[in-house]
Amino acid sequence: MSQLLPYFGVGFLLLSALILWARQSLTTRKGSVALSMPCKRSSGVGSATPRRDLGERIFDPHDWDFVRRETTSGIQRKFQQERTVLAISWLRRTRRQVSFIMRTHALGVRRSKNLQPTMELKLLLSYLSLVMLCDVLIGLIWLRGPVRTRRIVEQTFHWTARLRAAFEQLLAIVDPANHKALETGFNQGTAQS
Amino acid sequence: MFEQILWWAGNAAEAFLLLRSFKERLYEKYPAFYFYLAIVLLLQLFRFSVFVLYPLAFPAFYWYTQFLPATVGYAVIIEIFKQGLKSSPGAARMARTVLWGLLGAVILKVVVDALSSPTWSMATSFTGLERNLRTVQALLISVITIVLTLYKVPNSRNLKGIMFGYGLYICASVMSLAFGSLPGNATRPGWRHVQPIGYLAALFIWTYTLWSRYPDPETEEDSKIERDYRLIAEQTSRALSKIRSYFKMGGEL
Repeated sequence: MSQLLPYFGVGFLLLSALILWARQSLTTRKGSVALSMPCKRSSGVGSATPRRDLGERIFDPHDWDFVRRETTSGIQRKFQQERTVLAISWLRRTRRQVSFIMRTHALGVRRSKNLQPTMELKLLLSYLSLVMLCDVLIGLIWLRGPVRTRRIVEQTFHWTARLRAAFEQLLAIVDPANHKALETGFNQGTAQS
Repeated sequence: MFEQILWWAGNAAEAFLLLRSFKERLYEKYPAFYFYLAIVLLLQLFRFSVFVLYPLAFPAFYWYTQFLPATVGYAVIIEIFKQGLKSSPGAARMARTVLWGLLGAVILKVVVDALSSPTWSMATSFTGLERNLRTVQALLISVITIVLTLYKVPNSRNLKGIMFGYGLYICASVMSLAFGSLPGNATRPGWRHVQPIGYLAALFIWTYTLWSRYPDPETEEDSKIERDYRLIAEQTSRALSKIRSYFKMGGEL
């Protein structure tokens, strides 16, 4: 029976690829839509929100110190639950931003005749490992709560900021005409998150 | 009875698809695919006449002609590759590299098997040979599909239908042929139904998606993106490296 495994493996690989492709075909209309996606995000509170990342506020140790000092254990528990929900949604959003970088890259280079397969493979592996790391962080926060995983998350603040800067640089090259608008949309999205 | 229903339904759908292709002039755009359909239909009818007129010769005839559709199927895959990635030379280059690598690995494996096994012969098993042909096809379609997904290459509804239907059929074929090539399973009728059912499902998908001729999606205007590939790749790589370096700094993990 074990000799069947490679064939079933190939069958499942093909089936999974077809399902993902069909799903993408049904949800994506045009590549340009993906490039302009951040601009379409609603900006209801964007302009009023300070530029400081929401992630920093979610994991701010001062909040937890205050709650622990001044409130009962019930409120502390409630605080932790709410912060967990917020932290996970913030990380999911960060993960989407990482994906957005790769999507922008893919859209930018797919017509290039100078595309280098090794470089593409390297980028793909790098992207996949980062997405997995984000998922691990989400899992850790879900299991241990944001207070206990604060130290790890603190480091993600730094890379989110760097990511945004790098993304803007990338976009300035890929799509200079829309860069200004995208920059605004991306900043608003980050501020709201 | 069930087999006969499958058989006649398949033939009717193939004939219908071919007629529609003449009306919509789809055969001009996808000649290899319609050639494949025509070959399969003619083969089925030819086999039927052999079965009626020379029943004793039918089993041998069936197995010797079994490789024809599998071989012509490679032309369909080449067509999918050319049509699907014609608007994205970058993605096509990526796919081509992986496909050559894959074919090289398969050829290497065949050569190594031939040299290492003294009992190896090309006609070890009809089912096994067809299974291997289909497995390589499955790998090729997987690579093309993954590249299309990664680079979000837009394609017409017609081509999507051809690819999805053919991919589904190949997937069913690989699994059923692999199961059927096990000792003792060749005589079981159950696994034999998977492939015809898969093919009928593919025919329904093709009938739906190839009903009319759909135009290719509009191609993007050529821009400065072309000359800036290296810069884009470097920026993306830098962005991802920065993220990675922060993870490497450690923490409670």
